[in-house]
Amino acid sequence: MSDQPVIEAILAGDQAAWDALVTRFAGALWSAVRAYDLNPADAADAVQGTWLRLLENLHTIRDPDRIGPWLFTTAKREASLLRRRHRGERLVADPVDTEHARSAPADAGHVHADPVLAVLTADESRRLWQAVDRMPEPCRSLFRLMATAPDAGVRQLAGRLGMPSGSYGPTRGRCLNRLRTMLTTREATP
Amino acid sequence: MTRHPTTIDDESLIAALRLASGSDPVPAQVTAAARAVFGLRLPDADTARPVVTSVPQGVRSAEEPGLLRFVAAGLTVELEVTSPDGLVDLAGQISPCPGAGTLVEIRTPHLTESRPLSPTGQFAVTGLPPGWFSVVCHRPDSFPVVTSWTRIRP
Repeated sequence: MSDQPVIEAILAGDQAAWDALVTRFAGALWSAVRAYDLNPADAADAVQGTWLRLLENLHTIRDPDRIGPWLFTTAKREASLLRRRHRGERLVADPVDTEHARSAPADAGHVHADPVLAVLTADESRRLWQAVDRMPEPCRSLFRLMATAPDAGVRQLAGRLGMPSGSYGPTRGRCLNRLRTMLTTREATP
Repeated sequence: MTRHPTTIDDESLIAALRLASGSDPVPAQVTAAARAVFGLRLPDADTARPVVTSVPQGVRSAEEPGLLRFVAAGLTVELEVTSPDGLVDLAGQISPCPGAGTLVEIRTPHLTESRPLSPTGQFAVTGLPPGWFSVVCHRPDSFPVVTSWTRIRP
């Protein structure tokens, strides 16, 4: 399905076409920025900035099928900048990234390559959790907890998993690597 | 279908798991704000893009005000950003100075402030809420120029 008619309608000033685009991607963008450990206010800020950037750059998007990846890449960048800010870097305004607006979103990733966009279909969402169900502990419990308690802190998550706080990050990293490998292997199978 | 799983980073996996579990739905006001963004479109405007200034861009020491520069064809907008009280003050310079009758709009997603441009091409606005902002220069004899949306947080 091409987004060309959607882009053309939006460029012509059609609010309904814009609203439809918002409805389609709002959930994915929210999850994308929340994964950067942003509180709801900062996550809202990052998502709003993403839509502002789309409005500003829509006429430059050459490939209409790239709106999803473009939005997603832009949201991740905004979220990443906000996370950096919270880690103590003082930025009065965000660093100039003039390359970004033109090239990065269009070049980053491939259509459907990103799991968050893929998960927008119910089938993919089920397959992702089926992969988690095949994982050993503590990965299975860790992912379930992480997914259902998005605002829980590390100490709280570690406590509920019965592990020291210092172990949570490294364990999560190993589990994510494992899941990534499972998904990669799955994709390689015809 | 060609896939490139090597592009999957940790944050994307975490986001996918959460999205699939449906336990962190997008708040209604976030979706409403995204719809409202469309009201800010300026289809006839030329966009002034940010360029690196001599002060390291985006970095602010305790005393130095932030200086931002945006360039469009034939027009440069410079903004000095200060935040003495948690709110944002902007002092701007547009060069070369457009003709008399130029109006400057300082926009946030929530409010717009208008200022006539001084004969020397300057304008100022104080007490803006932190967050996203953009400056529009309405010239009497040419298309408007709008700066790329920029986030300012004290």
